[in-house]
Amino acid sequence: MISKKDHFTPKARQEGLVVQQLEDEVLVYDNERFKAHCLNRTAALVWQHCNGKKTIQDIALALEKEAGSPVGEEVVWLALGQLGKSRLLTERVMPAAGKAGISRREVIRRVGIATAVALPVVTSIVAPKAAQAANCLPSGSTCTTAVQCCSNLCPGAPSSGVCS
Amino acid sequence: MALFRIRHKPGELVARMLRGSWRRNPPEFDLSESELDQVVPLLLASGAAALGWWRVRNSSLKKTQPALELQQAYRLHSLQSALHESEIKDLVTLARDAGAEPVLVKGWAVARMYPEMGLRPYGDVDLCFSKESYAKAEAAFSGLDRTTYQVDLHEGFSKLDGQSAEELLSRSRTISIGGLDVRVMGAEDQLRILCTHALRHSVWRPLWLCDIAAAVESRAADFDWQRCLGRDAREADWVACAIGLAHRFLGAEIKTTPVERRANELPGWLVRRTLKNWDAPFPELYPPLSYTRQFVTYFRDPTGMLRTLRMRWPDPIEATIRMRGPFNRFPRWPYQIANAAGRITMFLDGLRRSGPKLD
Repeated sequence: MISKKDHFTPKARQEGLVVQQLEDEVLVYDNERFKAHCLNRTAALVWQHCNGKKTIQDIALALEKEAGSPVGEEVVWLALGQLGKSRLLTERVMPAAGKAGISRREVIRRVGIATAVALPVVTSIVAPKAAQAANCLPSGSTCTTAVQCCSNLCPGAPSSGVCS
Repeated sequence: MALFRIRHKPGELVARMLRGSWRRNPPEFDLSESELDQVVPLLLASGAAALGWWRVRNSSLKKTQPALELQQAYRLHSLQSALHESEIKDLVTLARDAGAEPVLVKGWAVARMYPEMGLRPYGDVDLCFSKESYAKAEAAFSGLDRTTYQVDLHEGFSKLDGQSAEELLSRSRTISIGGLDVRVMGAEDQLRILCTHALRHSVWRPLWLCDIAAAVESRAADFDWQRCLGRDAREADWVACAIGLAHRFLGAEIKTTPVERRANELPGWLVRRTLKNWDAPFPELYPPLSYTRQFVTYFRDPTGMLRTLRMRWPDPIEATIRMRGPFNRFPRWPYQIANAAGRITMFLDGLRRSGPKLD
């Protein structure tokens, strides 16, 4: 756990993650916790700069360079709080540490609504219902007849069939 | 302001929504918010949600709730593609170490024809092997953790195509997946297989026509249409009709192709049936996923037998393919009756041999 330090240098977790870069966001799948996260551009930039060497100030400067206008450290802390909560840092940033506990509302108040960068957001990706439609049921799915299963085997049908 | 608004059937909305969706720059989005709301469950259910997002993402509706659901599917498929890539590399390496050369089919092999890998859903990794190497592959994969690796091994290509394994293998080519060369079908064989597969399953999923459209439009300049259409004139006509459906409903570009004329003369029953199949969320009515009980159980408890018989009545597209019929303008019932008779015979034969385990 991170304690309050003047020169806190956060480090992004790398092991057990699958990362996919999209146009405006970064998707991360956690192979250990089986969870998927979506990082908006700001959160992704903060995460990418978390190399264990850069301080919060360094990361804020790097963001400023990208945005072309000043970015407060509060924005970086807000991102770190969310990244830590999603277990995307090697060590979790607890609310008691530094400014990691500040809320989105507080950040907006401090940096002003017209901040040059979008506020960092880390959201979980939940599979929409039936988004993985297939022509047959994979193993482990509930089935009522054998022909529904890709394996053509539905032991326990029709009352408690499961595709093998 | 228009006094009357034309109400589109759900299948027609699906077609409008997916028009040109496989292109890097799809046509301008032209559905209203209520139409989008209506079509989203159909896209989610059929695996075409990410393509729906690709179309709506540059429109004024991109922040609406139904659009955000499509975006979630796109994100999910994008992640799946990355996971799939690493799985494929592991599986191909494992097979090669055992002395078996796999051919990657479906899923990833099809998704690479789209501008982004996250535009298509992913299921199992499907690997085909020659008859000689199948046993080696099976032995190598027997100790595999099937919860981590979801893979389907196929002996030969007979489930996919009528052409010989030797021919298909000789025309296969390699592509790079994350630095590893992986064998996939030749472009001509792939398009033919996509077409016959879609028809064999009565074009229940609009995604299959998007695959066909993507394959047609991404073909190389030296694409050999004769090889694609094959030697069998009837099968060649089926392929032309499937491409014709992709053209008619989704706007696939077919100008100057040898199938252009046929694609513009599709039989009415084929057009109507395809749209009808898109009206309900997949697989609500799709056989056999729609079956709720084994057929044999209706002999003990006939409740719902009439409904299930109606549900099991052969689809005209599938019946024509199964009976190797032509796609002409004549009624389909002779093929449907013949197909139903064949299935009843198989059912009774199976019942006699293995007892009440049949569907």
